[in-house]
Amino acid sequence: MMDLSILLALLQDGVVSGAVYGLLALALVLVFAVTRVILIPVGELVSFTALTYAGLEDGQIPEALPLLLALGALAFLRGALQDRGRSLGSLALQTLVLPAAIAGCAVLIAPLHAGIAVQAGLAIAVVAPMAPLLYRIAFRPLPEASVLVKLIAAVGVHLALTGLGLLCFGPEGARGPAFSDAVLTLGPMILTGQAVWVIFCTTAAMAALWAFFRLSLAGAALRATAINRRGARLVGISPDRSGLLAFWLAGLIAGLSGVLIAPLTTVYYDGGFLIGLKGFVAAIIAGLGSYPLAIAAALVVGVVESLSAFWASDFKEVIVFSVIIPVLLWRSLRHCAVGEEE
Amino acid sequence: MTRPMLILIALILLPWLPGMPLFWVSLANQIGISAIVAMGLVVLTGIAGMTSFVQAGLMGFGAYAAALVAQSWGLSPWLGLPAALLASGLAAVLMGAVTLRLSGHYLALSTIAWGVSLYFLFVNLDILGRNDGLSGLPPLSVAGYRLIDVRASAMVIGVSLLLSFIATRNLLNSRWGRALHALQGGEVAAASAGVNLGQARLLAFVYAALLAGLAGWLFAHLQRAVSPNPFGLVAGIQYLLMAVLGGAGFLPGALLGAAIVVLVNNWLQDLLPLLLGAGVNAETVVFGAGLVVLLQAAPTGLWPLLARASAMAHHPQGRTALPAPSAPNATELLQATRLHRRFGGLVAVADLSLSLHKGEILGLIGPNGAGKSTSFNLLSGVDHPDSGRVMLAGTDATGLAAPEMAKLGLARSFQHARLVAGLSVIENVALGAHLRGTASPLQAILRRDRAEEAALFATAARALDRVGLLAEADRPATSLALGQQRLVEIARALAASPAVLLLDEPAAGLRHAEKQALAALLRQLAASGMGVLLVEHDMEFVMSLAHRLVVLDFGTVIAAGTPAEIRQSPAVIEAYLGAAA
Amino acid sequence: MLRRHTCILLACLLAAGTVAAQATPAQADTIKVGITFSATGPAASLGIAQRNSVALFPKQIAGQDVEYIVLDDGGDTSRAVANMRKLIDENNVDLIMGSTVTPASLAMLGVAAEKQVPMIATAASGALIAPMDAQRHWVFKTPQNDGLMADAIVQNMTKAGIKTVAFIGFSDAYGDGWLNEFTRATKAAGIEITTVEKYARPDTSVTGQVLKIMATAPQAVLVAGSGTPAALPQKTLRERGYKGPIYQTHGITNNEFLKVGGKDVEGTILPTGPILVADQLPDSNPVKAVALSYIHAYDAMYGAGTASPFGANAYDAMLLFKAAVPAALSHAKPGTAEFRSALRDGIEGLHGVVLDHGIATMSPTDHNGFDTSARVMVTIQNSTWKLLP
Repeated sequence: MMDLSILLALLQDGVVSGAVYGLLALALVLVFAVTRVILIPVGELVSFTALTYAGLEDGQIPEALPLLLALGALAFLRGALQDRGRSLGSLALQTLVLPAAIAGCAVLIAPLHAGIAVQAGLAIAVVAPMAPLLYRIAFRPLPEASVLVKLIAAVGVHLALTGLGLLCFGPEGARGPAFSDAVLTLGPMILTGQAVWVIFCTTAAMAALWAFFRLSLAGAALRATAINRRGARLVGISPDRSGLLAFWLAGLIAGLSGVLIAPLTTVYYDGGFLIGLKGFVAAIIAGLGSYPLAIAAALVVGVVESLSAFWASDFKEVIVFSVIIPVLLWRSLRHCAVGEEE
Repeated sequence: MTRPMLILIALILLPWLPGMPLFWVSLANQIGISAIVAMGLVVLTGIAGMTSFVQAGLMGFGAYAAALVAQSWGLSPWLGLPAALLASGLAAVLMGAVTLRLSGHYLALSTIAWGVSLYFLFVNLDILGRNDGLSGLPPLSVAGYRLIDVRASAMVIGVSLLLSFIATRNLLNSRWGRALHALQGGEVAAASAGVNLGQARLLAFVYAALLAGLAGWLFAHLQRAVSPNPFGLVAGIQYLLMAVLGGAGFLPGALLGAAIVVLVNNWLQDLLPLLLGAGVNAETVVFGAGLVVLLQAAPTGLWPLLARASAMAHHPQGRTALPAPSAPNATELLQATRLHRRFGGLVAVADLSLSLHKGEILGLIGPNGAGKSTSFNLLSGVDHPDSGRVMLAGTDATGLAAPEMAKLGLARSFQHARLVAGLSVIENVALGAHLRGTASPLQAILRRDRAEEAALFATAARALDRVGLLAEADRPATSLALGQQRLVEIARALAASPAVLLLDEPAAGLRHAEKQALAALLRQLAASGMGVLLVEHDMEFVMSLAHRLVVLDFGTVIAAGTPAEIRQSPAVIEAYLGAAA
Repeated sequence: MLRRHTCILLACLLAAGTVAAQATPAQADTIKVGITFSATGPAASLGIAQRNSVALFPKQIAGQDVEYIVLDDGGDTSRAVANMRKLIDENNVDLIMGSTVTPASLAMLGVAAEKQVPMIATAASGALIAPMDAQRHWVFKTPQNDGLMADAIVQNMTKAGIKTVAFIGFSDAYGDGWLNEFTRATKAAGIEITTVEKYARPDTSVTGQVLKIMATAPQAVLVAGSGTPAALPQKTLRERGYKGPIYQTHGITNNEFLKVGGKDVEGTILPTGPILVADQLPDSNPVKAVALSYIHAYDAMYGAGTASPFGANAYDAMLLFKAAVPAALSHAKPGTAEFRSALRDGIEGLHGVVLDHGIATMSPTDHNGFDTSARVMVTIQNSTWKLLP
């Protein structure tokens, strides 16, 4: 029943999904390594960007703007409280002025139908800053808490964002315009333009991240924090600033994923959770530590998902999630770690 | 009868007070069922340090078992209870056999995978009614009286909650409870004290599953309908949230967390429409935000805030310590032959041979990085040699794990004191005597272990007395100064009444008088026939104490002999001067 | 130690306080209706439309004040049951409406029977009211049975000469319910189901399932999903070049589906309640006036084009209740067991009540009351719903 063209189509589908999972896995690995937070709400950021992007196609003023401004105000208050009013200027710049500026631009640009690239950029610009704002509100005040407590805090943020998503975007899904309607035929394989775009953007984003980590000072500081947080602090790298930067990157990656996925499928206010969970699966197969491994794992997850949707769609999720248990066992046996590092 | 019992008995009787609003009873029922699941998580996650997202799924096993028994097969709903416990317990054993080897985050993720898979298992099984589930379950009945009223259900739930609370408390205050505490950060020490870590993990997982199964049975007969929805991943996260919010390390925290989550959700439902109008559903928003705020105010959960002086567990007082086991016949207690250990390209230990005799104090010395700690780990089963042989009391112990070594009569302390943070000083010491107790977890739950516990604590108290720390017995272990923590480690080793005692830098951090006392103690132990091997930096201390010395440098033995001979050895002098230069 | 004792004391005081405060009148002048809809969670698109419809409910029926207490259950069975107990025990309601989703409503049946409170479900599955037994004695429901709709689809397929069909549906209660009914109906009509595929509402891709369907080369495909997520398989089928007719269910009938589906959902055939195409009904159809008045009221409050048949399911529940109130009032006062029982008997005795979705005639064995007049076949043309003759 399965012929070559079907297999190729499934593989293509799996690789495209896997690429998006891979991006999210990157964001999760990065945030976890730097801040020990398992960023469950990354899925909501994906949904919000996708819905904003879809709304911009209709010339709507982004529904997420009030949310951005409110988060900014909250982050300002929380930051002022925690720092007892020190360096209010830069705090206000980042939490009040920047969101307001973005909102202003969005209100001006949104009705113009300025083209797909501008709309995609704008959608990311509206949603990505929410990640560092969330860091200031929820996670920065919990620097020494256990991984478990941070996880539950992340669950709290996820719940709140899901509810806010319903209030902002409503229960129905939306689908964004494709970057390209082209269809390429390569032998038995039909390659859609959007698939090419997804793979291209993912690769480009990964290359950019690699360059950032290897070539820039801020990237080096992040890597240092990820490898040894206490050591990084001793040499003068502020864990706060690293955390903020990690969340910024996570927000941008989530935003990019949202824009990439919006033309492929209908996205709902709560649809991001499952996407994020699969990214998380890939991230943890990679031991929440290795970036290339996380991407490879994400591709495997995507392909397994696609193949099992074909063979046994009833049990698709069971297969996707059960397949990781042997992988985990194998990894665990190889590492044979007695204790937990934290 | 203790105060928590009084409170819970009051809870059982309260519903019947005239005028008690029925809905409050319904809420209390929800709280009770959730609290039973959350108690399992206190044991599993709070105490034993294993994060689990699958408790709701295990609860589903209990609920579906109850539904099958009472509805599909038409048997007595009371038969559903053993069926529910069997189903959830068996599921936990199977899952545990596959995944409990995983460590840390891997284990947590595998429970996410199980959580998702179990949900779809329930959804896809025709016998379980697929998505619609099984409805129309009969209520429980006693002598023909149907417990259909929520107040009647409340009594069953109240009794279950009470029994679960007592059982869990009993379990935690037993030798098994101490082993479970040690799973969080004290694994190496516990293993060296003879605790089978895999067994302890499985115990925590299965115990939590049994509580979840009990809750599932109660849930099935309270709702009288079972469908997959309450047993998915999201529900699993909810229970974890309750435990963490209440205080994952504290048993009453489970009840507190469950009560807060249920009551707050209920209040929000009443309050928010008044504030925001009927057309806005902001309950999850406020709940999620409130959760974050609460955790920021109380990162260890709310219970420790309420009960600031979290009273240390009461342990039985006993006067008779356990008799010392008969000493092995062999005079050569510990013998290492040509041990090698490599880490990657680095040779940590090469060709190490030594022997320790009955009644002897042997010192292992060498400059920093000479391989002393690695040797210690090889000798005590914490690490294994690439080649070579270890004989312990005449038995080949090469490649044996730490608990097996402990069974053969070896006890050790660690260079960095590894005390279990959740336990008091004396409980840490009693952990050392783990192997000298025989009570099973079931006996512990039923309190059939009190005599043995009394003896274990008497033994522990004696060991503490010998290191001069009896006065600190009930303090939290990690509140002691570092030097004292080391002494507690020695006491823990002594509590096992070992034939061979391995001490890793016991004198570090001690004041002069304390060192004198320690030296006297060690001499006394040796005189009683124990073999003592110690690694030590303090030359004066070790030279005056040891009968013989072995000197290591770069993983090889460069000299061996009496302290006087070592003092003269040119190789030793060069090694130390070279290292100093 | 002191703290614990204080706790016990406080608990006793609280209890005593409630004894004093509990002056709940056994009877009241206001009729209370307790409502639990799934306004958040996976069924929010249906639940919100239903919750919004409550604002259109009359504040007085037969001269009696009516109070509506609306709660959200998020589609969660435990919360739905908790809500129901709260509404009954705390608010002493005379009638329960909801829930939006089938599993939650099924779990509520037992409470309705235990507390002897009539309940009108707004969820789809026929299992809610069949087989009629002691529990379901108290339960009615407004949406058409899946079976009625499945028969309509199969009739249409038979007419079009379709012999093979593939099924793709939600992996939840909705998809399951449809699969059962559709399997039954096709078997009777001699149509072969080539493959059964499932997908989840938030899935981002159904390529695997669609390729499987196309490999079995069916003459038609039925998609059993609700709301905008039902568009995904159809769009994927068209993207992959499937040319055959595609059938949908009455779960898709809101305008967001048309928007998300775009050109890919043109020509879709589906059964639905007549309200969806109320303006195209002949004037002789009594449903037309009722449905149009609902649509106008809803659109006036929430914006043009926002009314959907889902919200009308809730409105129909109110219409049933309203029709039964006068007779019940003549038996007993609201807030009493006699009133609730009379209300139930009244609803069961309703005959020929015109609702948004059709004309309902209840009986002791039929607590839905709809016949074939409650369904029409509709297609999508130029992104609007068109009544098929």
